[in-house]
Amino acid sequence: MKQLVIDFQKCDAGRNCEHECELECAIKVFKVDDPAQAALQIKAYEEGGGHAILCDQCGDCVVVCPTEALKRNKLGVVMIDKKICVGCYMCIGFCEKDAFMRNSDWITPHKCTSCGICVKVCPHGALSIVEVPEPAPRII
Amino acid sequence: MILVNEEPLDWHGGMTVRDILRARNYRFPMLVIHVNDALIQKKDYDSTTIPDDAVVKVIHLISGG
Amino acid sequence: MSQLVFDPSKVMDIDHTLRTEYLDGLEAIKAAHKVLKEITYTPSLPDKGYTNRSLYVNVGSLEIKEKPVTQAMKDVFIGGRGFGLYHLWNAVKPTTRWNDPENEIIISPGPVSGMTQYAGTGKSLVVSLSPQTDIPIDSNVGGFYGPLLKFSGFDALELQGKSDRDIILFIDGQKGIIRVEEAPTDPVDSHVLAEILTHMYAENEADLPNISVVSTGAAAEHSLIGMLNFSFYDRRRKCVRFKQAGRGGIGTVFRNKRIRALVIRGPKVAGDMNHPVDPETIAKTGIKYHKEIRENDPHQCMMRRNGTAHIVEIMDAYDLLPVHNFQYGSHPDVHKIDSSYWQQRCTQVTVDGCWYGCSMACAKGVDGLTVQTGPYKGHLVSVDGPEYENAAGLGSNCGVFDPEYLLELNFYCDTYGICTITYGTLTAFVMECYQRGILNKERTGGLELTWGNAAADLEMMHQMARGEGFGKIAGLGTKKMKEHFIKQGWGDPQLINDIGMENKGLEYSQYMSKESLAQQGGYALTNKGPQHDEAWLIFMDMVNKQIPTFEDKAEALYYFPLFRTWFGLNGFCKLPWNDVVPANNSEQPEAHKVPEHVQNYVDLFTATTGIKITKEDLITQSAKVYNFQRVFNIRMGKGLRLHDAAPYRSLGPVTKEEYESRAERYDQQIVTEMGLDPVGKTTEEKMALHREWRTGRFSQLMDAVYTRRGWTLDGVPTLERLKELGLDAFPEVVEVVKQHLP
Repeated sequence: MKQLVIDFQKCDAGRNCEHECELECAIKVFKVDDPAQAALQIKAYEEGGGHAILCDQCGDCVVVCPTEALKRNKLGVVMIDKKICVGCYMCIGFCEKDAFMRNSDWITPHKCTSCGICVKVCPHGALSIVEVPEPAPRII
Repeated sequence: MILVNEEPLDWHGGMTVRDILRARNYRFPMLVIHVNDALIQKKDYDSTTIPDDAVVKVIHLISGG
Repeated sequence: MSQLVFDPSKVMDIDHTLRTEYLDGLEAIKAAHKVLKEITYTPSLPDKGYTNRSLYVNVGSLEIKEKPVTQAMKDVFIGGRGFGLYHLWNAVKPTTRWNDPENEIIISPGPVSGMTQYAGTGKSLVVSLSPQTDIPIDSNVGGFYGPLLKFSGFDALELQGKSDRDIILFIDGQKGIIRVEEAPTDPVDSHVLAEILTHMYAENEADLPNISVVSTGAAAEHSLIGMLNFSFYDRRRKCVRFKQAGRGGIGTVFRNKRIRALVIRGPKVAGDMNHPVDPETIAKTGIKYHKEIRENDPHQCMMRRNGTAHIVEIMDAYDLLPVHNFQYGSHPDVHKIDSSYWQQRCTQVTVDGCWYGCSMACAKGVDGLTVQTGPYKGHLVSVDGPEYENAAGLGSNCGVFDPEYLLELNFYCDTYGICTITYGTLTAFVMECYQRGILNKERTGGLELTWGNAAADLEMMHQMARGEGFGKIAGLGTKKMKEHFIKQGWGDPQLINDIGMENKGLEYSQYMSKESLAQQGGYALTNKGPQHDEAWLIFMDMVNKQIPTFEDKAEALYYFPLFRTWFGLNGFCKLPWNDVVPANNSEQPEAHKVPEHVQNYVDLFTATTGIKITKEDLITQSAKVYNFQRVFNIRMGKGLRLHDAAPYRSLGPVTKEEYESRAERYDQQIVTEMGLDPVGKTTEEKMALHREWRTGRFSQLMDAVYTRRGWTLDGVPTLERLKELGLDAFPEVVEVVKQHLP
């Protein structure tokens, strides 16, 4: 399956860039001019370094979704079908990585779909899309 | 001798919260335990020792369908 | 005492999509349907939780009309059980009985029902005059019918009248059609009928989850204990499943009206259909709760793995699991039917909420059961549960410790439309009567109803469904069986009355109350009869010693019944309140009330309706409906102190074996509680001392509870209390009470 990964050897948690990845995601994918709505969030630690909130396509949300609105596509990426989703937000509550997100203006939640738009704009080349094996579904 | 939920229980040196639960067969997972009015967290049940003459309250939360 | 740990590798490998198919006859059944009446209407979605419309259907005259839901109705009755009682009051007279045409069945979901972001928000309440108790019964039920009814335009559905042929009421909330159809050849039992009707009324596969069916089964036609199945479509299993409005025989009323089924086709559900005033608060509260379940449930109750059956072994450990008709509280074979077994037998790879957004997901289900007896012998079926009540009622209380038999009993109760709690308790009574010679093989028509004889138990159930033999007598319920056995002269009347576990005509649910005075009241001092949904105080009282005085117990029997009534006014489920708690709950004052969750409920109500309330207002809202229901009982000729009397089995040891099995405890109580010396006394003498002490303190408890509730010592709400609650605005209510005040 396709997975977005970040290399913190290269990424300085936004200290030497303009969070281009977040902004590009917000504008291109979600059509909002607000990086806080992006499907990946880069957070800097005060003591140096940082971490990224992003979806690794683990599939836990697929297991808990009551409507089967969440499914893997041909690339193994977990996609949401907004027409089926009932906005229960169990995917958000059960995501251990806090990667499922909610915008107050939308009823349905959203997350990273490994589309790679952010990869192209990272000035440090820290982001990449990799192919990894799909984990077996867990009982949650 | 200690008091557990108003009833006496034989005390022994090194007695822990877990020992009390075992002695009373308190199997319910949702408990609020105070030893001499001090709240004991679940993670400390094995490590918290009980002094003699302690007053222990093992409050079982409401259960039952 | 170590807690059970879930091991995924032990879950049995059973295909949860495989089961006997029933759709072959669909076209012929559909072709036989005949439209008796059809009207069109304009569907509407709720605003702030209310559609402000209710639907009235007379299945006899075929009158179909809308009624407005007024502000005054909402102010006093809120919705759900409140609306049900309000409509029922207006429909019946004091002389009305369950099978009169004016009796109604009312289904109302409540303003919060249909919310998809919080756990346990898809409930509706069903209210009717009960064939078992002759007073209003209310049943809180999951499944999709209630929310889909509201999203089709109605806060309540009133069904009145009696049809002379079998009918289906179809509401199409997508197209705005209400239709009564004659249904002459439809199957009778729920698991077949609901599967067929769901596929009949869905326009395509994607439409299946928009359909919900209310139905019952063969036993509802021949017994007084019929229940209603509310369906929901399980997308992963690809089948119809049920939650039950079980207590009090509403299924019997349903069939007496010749209703075969109610079918609703609602709009496709989305996350904002209640049009709440503050969706942001609802979203945040819901997500917070989902996280709490994810983090805490695996090491608290494990509801997601075991459902309510997680307490089978807990109740056994505390001597609270009913065994052999509530004689004993534990049994060495319980491990065969406890949650360590069910979590392996239940399908675990599915989503088990009975409404969207229920992260507690306790609606566990067993798949791959091959039926061994009766009309579905050889069929491969799925069974919902077993829930705790079923494991205890159909299992330990009757001495049945074979899990496959237990599942078959559960399956047939569901599809025949029998309340599992009622069936468990009445069968336990029958088996004890058999043990004590009150019944024998001759009197049961050949059924050897010894403890644990599941084959005979199943045969009795099949008889109940066919309306034959001893099963038909059993289907009258415990109260009428007692009267029958005494009339036949089959045994000592006092013994029969002592061991038949009913109050007001309704069977007890499955907890031992002998050592908890507060729970004795929690059962007997209820509005509808002895169901634990008003109060479960056994741990607080018996184990924690938190409420030692009569006043303490009365306070608990004031607060909890009102707090828990509120769930049924709004369309909430009770379980998410206390079957998981926040990590810091133990640090809160009054941890047993789970304060953070109470605040969640306050916030969800306000965020939906826009009406600002506090946790104290929540109690007042309930008190209005609770006292209205008490007066309703009085209006129907019940509802007084004498009707709150409890069978002695619920208060203390009836028999010598019972006493001697717990002799140390009972002897000790003679010393500590009565200040007497048990030495040298016979068991009979000691039992007599207990009886006097136990019935005396139960009577004192009644005094304390009635006083705290603002009632007279005869159990009648005082005029002052009614005024305080604004119920004096209803002259009929005041009039009923006046006749009973000194």
